[in-house]
Amino acid sequence: MGAQQRVFKQKIRSAQGMKKIFKAKEMVAASRIAKAHARVLATTPYAEALTRAIGSVATHSEEINHPFLDSERSRTGRAGILMITADRGMTGPYSHNVIRAAEQLANTLRDEGKEPVMYVVGRKGESYYRFRNRPPHRAWTPYKENELPDLGREIAGVLTGDLLSDDQSVHLDELYVVGTQFKTRFVQDTKSIRMVPMGIAAPGTIESRPAFPLYEFAPDADTVVAELMPRYVQSRIINILLQAMASEHASTQRAMKSATDNAETQIRKFTRLANSARQAEITQEITEIVGGADALSGSGRTER
Amino acid sequence: MSALDVTFVTADRTVWSGQAAQVVVPAVDGSMGILPQMQPTLAILGTGTVRIIDQDGHVDQLAVDGGFVSVDSDVVTIGVDDATSIEAQDSRF
Repeated sequence: MGAQQRVFKQKIRSAQGMKKIFKAKEMVAASRIAKAHARVLATTPYAEALTRAIGSVATHSEEINHPFLDSERSRTGRAGILMITADRGMTGPYSHNVIRAAEQLANTLRDEGKEPVMYVVGRKGESYYRFRNRPPHRAWTPYKENELPDLGREIAGVLTGDLLSDDQSVHLDELYVVGTQFKTRFVQDTKSIRMVPMGIAAPGTIESRPAFPLYEFAPDADTVVAELMPRYVQSRIINILLQAMASEHASTQRAMKSATDNAETQIRKFTRLANSARQAEITQEITEIVGGADALSGSGRTER
Repeated sequence: MSALDVTFVTADRTVWSGQAAQVVVPAVDGSMGILPQMQPTLAILGTGTVRIIDQDGHVDQLAVDGGFVSVDSDVVTIGVDDATSIEAQDSRF
């Protein structure tokens, strides 16, 4: 076998090996999407219950007061951005989309004269900022997929603490969350959401607004709001984390699908080249034999 | 007799849902019993045990730490951070 053929054979083998890895990763991601999506759906009843409860408090008493509802929060000019990226690579454009959206948001906030403060989830986002010599204010990484609710609780605790803090160097005026919304396994959107201050629609402005019953509050409306608001933030953050996880798997699946396809193209290409190299070698051998035979017959010798 | 439609959810899953005759929750200002036809209530929970008693008298007990409960026309929604099931002891009811 010629040297050229050997080179092509080796390239084919390496592409085949890679293809197997990509295929395996694709299938793992595909099986995890469904599980991750089920987790997202499992948080929905709680989120709905909370939203209904808060909505009913808002309709019940006109003058509820909570720092998260105050639209005029401008004490320090610090605006927190919670950015949710992946821990792992091979997720296609997933992390980069989030980082780009967060950077855009940070620039907008800077233009408005605010100071963006980064809170980062995931190794990809953390290393992005560390590499650029502006480490994030707080980073959570690495994280485990099955501990996301606990992580969400921890993050929500830190953020709520900073939002309500009286310390000027810690206090946050606003809180934004940049994550990826999981719509279907084919469609995911990178979204920037303003979490605080929250806008609760004024009663009567939306026609389809469900009629909330007049509730009896125990112990009283203000305590109930003070208790529910951090819970609401927490449940939203957990929900966003879980959606991000599902999106990460979907993105991984897509990236690995195209990587598998590319490996197949490579294999096909190198097989063609190896075949033509083999043919060329055979042709050359035949030419040499025929040439040798011609030379022999031309020499006038009759017996071999 | 009418029954309560109970949904018990934690932040990441639904723990209990179905029909019940009575629910006892640990509100911050004292234990609160919920029976059918109760007025709409929104209460904050403290630390304690949620008892869900179904129509056969079977008791499900869950330990909770903070949360909320909303009651509205016999629909009871309990939302907590985390709940751990306590093995059903001999019912006192």
